[in-house]
Amino acid sequence: MAVIEVKNFRKSFGTKLVHEDVSFYVKKGECLGLVGGSGAGKSVILRSLIGLEKPDSGQVLIDDHEVTAYDELDWLYVRKKVGYAFQGGALFDSMTVFQNLSYPLIEHTLLTHFEISRKILSQLDDFGLAGTEKLYPNELSGGMQKRVGLARAMMLEPEIILYDEPTAGLDPYNTKKIQELIINLKKKGVTSILVTHDMPTAFAVCDKFAFLKDKVIKEQGTIEQLKNKTQENSLIHQFIEGNIL
Amino acid sequence: MIYSVALPFKDWLKEQFFFLGGITYLMRDCLREGFNKPFYWKLLIDQIYQIGVRSFPLVLVTSGTIGMVMSLQFGFGLEKFGGKPYVPRLVASTIFREIGPMFTSLMLAARVGAGMASEIGSMVVTQQIDAIRALGTSPIKKIVFPRILACLIILPLSVAMANVIGNIGGWLVGVSELGLDPQFYYRRVLDTANIRDYLSGFGKTFFFALFISVPSCYFGLTVKNGTQEVGMATRKAVVTSSLLILIGDYFLAKVFWILEKWL
Repeated sequence: MAVIEVKNFRKSFGTKLVHEDVSFYVKKGECLGLVGGSGAGKSVILRSLIGLEKPDSGQVLIDDHEVTAYDELDWLYVRKKVGYAFQGGALFDSMTVFQNLSYPLIEHTLLTHFEISRKILSQLDDFGLAGTEKLYPNELSGGMQKRVGLARAMMLEPEIILYDEPTAGLDPYNTKKIQELIINLKKKGVTSILVTHDMPTAFAVCDKFAFLKDKVIKEQGTIEQLKNKTQENSLIHQFIEGNIL
Repeated sequence: MIYSVALPFKDWLKEQFFFLGGITYLMRDCLREGFNKPFYWKLLIDQIYQIGVRSFPLVLVTSGTIGMVMSLQFGFGLEKFGGKPYVPRLVASTIFREIGPMFTSLMLAARVGAGMASEIGSMVVTQQIDAIRALGTSPIKKIVFPRILACLIILPLSVAMANVIGNIGGWLVGVSELGLDPQFYYRRVLDTANIRDYLSGFGKTFFFALFISVPSCYFGLTVKNGTQEVGMATRKAVVTSSLLILIGDYFLAKVFWILEKWL
């Protein structure tokens, strides 16, 4: 059963048409790699999946529920089970790292302060951020902010996680740690979509790919199907090799 | 609003309709979401501190000096007609009815309105508002509602304080510069200024609080393209709030006069 399904998605900003007819689906426990050139509108699709953008037409189904007509109050319930890792972290700059991570737990759980502390310290350790809990976002490097953002998105152990360029700007060590983390979450049954330009990471963690170009999904398939193709008959291969945008 | 008169009329009109529609939706969302659980008391208290307590010195200086200036001007102006004894009454009723609420609101529009628009606008640019939404919480409840409520609580209190300080300023000048007896001045204020004077000014403050907080939050939330728009939103917030206060004051004054006659 598809946990996320997008059908005939169309989105424009003013007179600029970004997506004409985008359709794809992701089954439970799968990770879809959404790839495409810069400005192709990958993040717009991701944002539409949690209601941060509204499509002009088409359908978005989360757990078989059509969510495009949802208002903000309805979305609050969907967002509790969908984690969104922002490209730049999107941390609350007036809060410390600890307060940023405790935010979803305070809002949506009945955990005690002690339990929240324990969970946060363990999460920070997993992300190689031990000792940063009292720091403010402006005291962290860009890569660290990104990792804190990722850690925050995972605090509620969501069923679905949407990653927006989670490894961009990270060193190889931390990139590998993020890859391992995504793989571990997949093993637990977490469904995810990964928007990335980092193809080694995409190959390491994704089960299938969708290639976004010229406002539509030009090509999609599993890793195996992709491996069997050559540069001549695969746009994704040409994209990876840098032959097309 | 003034900044945009150079734009073609059609664009200007469109912008005004967007503004009216936007604040209507914002108010609707506030009424719909603001009174549902959970209530963020801590955020409200924090906003009361930011908006109110930190604005008190400004309100104190403004109202004090205005009271002093009014007393001086009325005193010297009426002296040649032998009207100095009327200074306490004039100063008090003008402060209660108009100057206290109006100047306090304008000061808060500049200080608080600008602060709200720039803070919220920066949060939009850095995707913090998106993060609030993505984490299953509402920016209306977390950001907008506490600010509007804090303004509704703080502005009437600030005006009450400004009324007192303004009259103290008037009294100081009346006694020291105009040579009025301190007891006479005090008694004249109490005898002649009535509760209607006070309430007609005080009643406006709730409207002024909305005129400051709602457009400021709206302009902050509608920032789209980077930090330059944060500055624009701040300007729009201050100009719009100030104009709404000034224009609204006339209509509210009329409404309160009608109410007074009716009562």
